Amino acid sequence: MKVTLEKVQNEDEEEAIIRAVEMTEEIKSARELLENNCRSIPVSETSGESGSGTVMLGTDKIYYTESVDKRTYVYTKEKCYETKYRLYELEELLNSNFLRCSKSLIINIRKIRSVKSEINGRMVAVMLNGEQTVISRSYVKELKKKLGV
Amino acid sequence: MSKIKIIFSQTLMISTAILFGLGVQAFFYMLYGNGDRISWQWFIPLSIIVTAFLCSVPTLLLLDEAESSKNFTIRQILHFLCVLAVLSLCGWLFDWYDSVSSYLFVLVMYVIIYVFVCVATYWLAKNDEIKINDALDGVRDEE
Repeated sequence: MKVTLEKVQNEDEEEAIIRAVEMTEEIKSARELLENNCRSIPVSETSGESGSGTVMLGTDKIYYTESVDKRTYVYTKEKCYETKYRLYELEELLNSNFLRCSKSLIINIRKIRSVKSEINGRMVAVMLNGEQTVISRSYVKELKKKLGV
Repeated sequence: MSKIKIIFSQTLMISTAILFGLGVQAFFYMLYGNGDRISWQWFIPLSIIVTAFLCSVPTLLLLDEAESSKNFTIRQILHFLCVLAVLSLCGWLFDWYDSVSSYLFVLVMYVIIYVFVCVATYWLAKNDEIKINDALDGVRDEE
């Protein structure tokens, strides 16, 4: 898609017009990103309730994403969703608040309550909702770098 | 590739540790007035590097990240015993000790260095934990 940037004098004049043949998921995401300063990804609920179709989930709601048996799950404070994205795709899609912390897990740094080191060099991250995830030894260095430690 | 890197860095560290042990031994010889007895054969430096490399190989036992802490403790004990076996065998092959007392000295040095490395690693990890938790305070979302 052709993207044009036109400079304006003040914030009141700022406007984004998207000219498209149809509304796609990507355009929806772009719109939400511009409107809320937050990217969204299409996910579907895993609860199995009838009528649970695809919904857009703001990435700021995500606690962590996990890949299990070639399926990718997205966890929020209380819910679990499934997404069509593979973990490596999410890694590119998600912003700098997210960190790959093992081969099958991407974690939202802003949702970590605390970390605890283990005897084997790994760290356990306690999330704001009380869930615990493991940060592999090789990714602890990356976490420190990201936090400027 | 990363495993080769680990083995290489471990070889360097263990070589340094053995040289340290040798240095301490020489220091005690000198303290007790036996400084003139200190002499090393031509193959000693090479034997240190070979031993260090063989001692670094059991490190592969500790690299499985999927293991639980309990299993890791078992692996750590296995690692300790493997390295001790390699050290004892190499010491015997390279003629590092001429009596039971000199073997005991090597043994004590090994235990001291092993415990020191474990404690230092634990301390560094705890230090990282504190620093990371402090940094997280600044970026954490409101619940």
